[in-house]
Amino acid sequence: MSNAIETHGLRYRAGKTFEIRDLALNVPTGAVYGFLGPNGSGKTTTIRLLLGMLRRVGGTIRVLDGSVPRDIVHVLARVGYVPERPHLYPSLTVAEALRFHGAFFSRWDGHWADELRSGFGLDQDAKLSRLSKGEMGKLLVLVALAQRPDLLILDEPTDGLDPVVRRDVLAAVLEYVSTARATVFISSHLVHELERICDWVGVMDHGQLVAELPMQTFKNGIKRLRVRNAPADIGDAPFVLLAREPGNGVAGESWVVRGWDASMHEYFTAIGAAVHAVDDLDLEDGFVELLRASRAPTA
Amino acid sequence: MFRQMLYTQLKWSLIALAALVVAGFAIPVLSVQRAGIVQPATWDAAVLLTAIRGWGVAYPILAGAVGLVAALTAWSHDHRGNHVYALSLPVARWKYAVLRFAAGGVLILPVVVALWVGGLAAGSASTIPNGLHAYPTALALRFGLATFVAYAAFFAIASGTSRTAAWVLGVIGALAVVQIVLSAAGVHAAFLPDALERLYTWPGPFELFTGQWMLINV
Repeated sequence: MSNAIETHGLRYRAGKTFEIRDLALNVPTGAVYGFLGPNGSGKTTTIRLLLGMLRRVGGTIRVLDGSVPRDIVHVLARVGYVPERPHLYPSLTVAEALRFHGAFFSRWDGHWADELRSGFGLDQDAKLSRLSKGEMGKLLVLVALAQRPDLLILDEPTDGLDPVVRRDVLAAVLEYVSTARATVFISSHLVHELERICDWVGVMDHGQLVAELPMQTFKNGIKRLRVRNAPADIGDAPFVLLAREPGNGVAGESWVVRGWDASMHEYFTAIGAAVHAVDDLDLEDGFVELLRASRAPTA
Repeated sequence: MFRQMLYTQLKWSLIALAALVVAGFAIPVLSVQRAGIVQPATWDAAVLLTAIRGWGVAYPILAGAVGLVAALTAWSHDHRGNHVYALSLPVARWKYAVLRFAAGGVLILPVVVALWVGGLAAGSASTIPNGLHAYPTALALRFGLATFVAYAAFFAIASGTSRTAAWVLGVIGALAVVQIVLSAAGVHAAFLPDALERLYTWPGPFELFTGQWMLINV
């Protein structure tokens, strides 16, 4: 399977405190890729690097088989972008904004844009500066979709929207993806939202990619284990130990692990320990544990 | 693409542009009318020329104002959004700048035309003393060139970030300070007046703004 987005050793520095370090993203073509991370982790910066808005310090970026920034004009013609903050000119009306935007995209579908506008209940004569947050959110998704893009890059597209609008926006995106077989790269810190729609997930923290794996693996692979008689040194474990919390003798220790498989019970037998409970963690808990593990000081 | 660029810039500058069009038409007309008020019955050539010359300063000021408005409206909305929108459009940065520049260039034309029409109207409605002639077309052409030069200069400054503008102003300020210090120390190095003179004398770009701006002349 080819990748819609690929970065290798991507580096970027902003000021003295923030940097993106050796970022290696691989977003499979046709995937709905959730780009998770806390505020300030580098999600928006990464997106701006992918779109050629910022200059990388090192590494390579390929988007839709084009090299960024060299082929950026051709790349942008095939990318629908919804930024973190509204970027359209606020002094224009909805109809004017659609006309302006459409003039730059050869694949612009004006008829569908009108259909979406009606479906979203947007008044074409309304000035953008007077739109509510929800209406603006819908308009941003509308203009990105009406370009008929091969890749949608959505930066916190539902942040601050009410649940009804959020559902409308995501439904429109998913409907387009299912018919056009487009790739979606969606950044958010709303973990539950991504859990429902994504089939791949990448987790950023402090400018680094902490994990990148299929959503199913992420959801199934992160478990909380109750372990009795665990030795201090666990040797070469066949899983990644994200967190280890002491417990009382009856309940045993609480371990959060990634990459868990039922066959790994044998490992505990070998080290003289026993697992007496395996609990699924939802994506949010898994996300939190993953971040906690990535931030823990290494010995 | 260009039509949409033009439309947005027209929308953003419409009120200011309308006022400048009115001013462009009014200045030549008023200059002749004022001269007529001085000598309503029979125009004395010298009095007329003095009155017309008095209005001459209004043309370069208007040219600068038109250039400033056209340049600022070309970039202000992109600056406000940190250029995110412009950078997300599938058009090369240089081409985007050229489109914005060309659209602003088109928008200065109505003022030039208004000034030309105003000059024609003022010239044809006046009884010009023997030996004098009205030059509405030459005046409008000169005004158009001056406006374009002012627009290009302001456009170049406005296209940069506020940091760039601060650098430009900072360098000019530093040069001025150095010039003052050198003068105070008795060192003969008039590089700032020299630089200004180069800008305002031929072939300097601002030479157009200097000299007399006369609708009616010998």
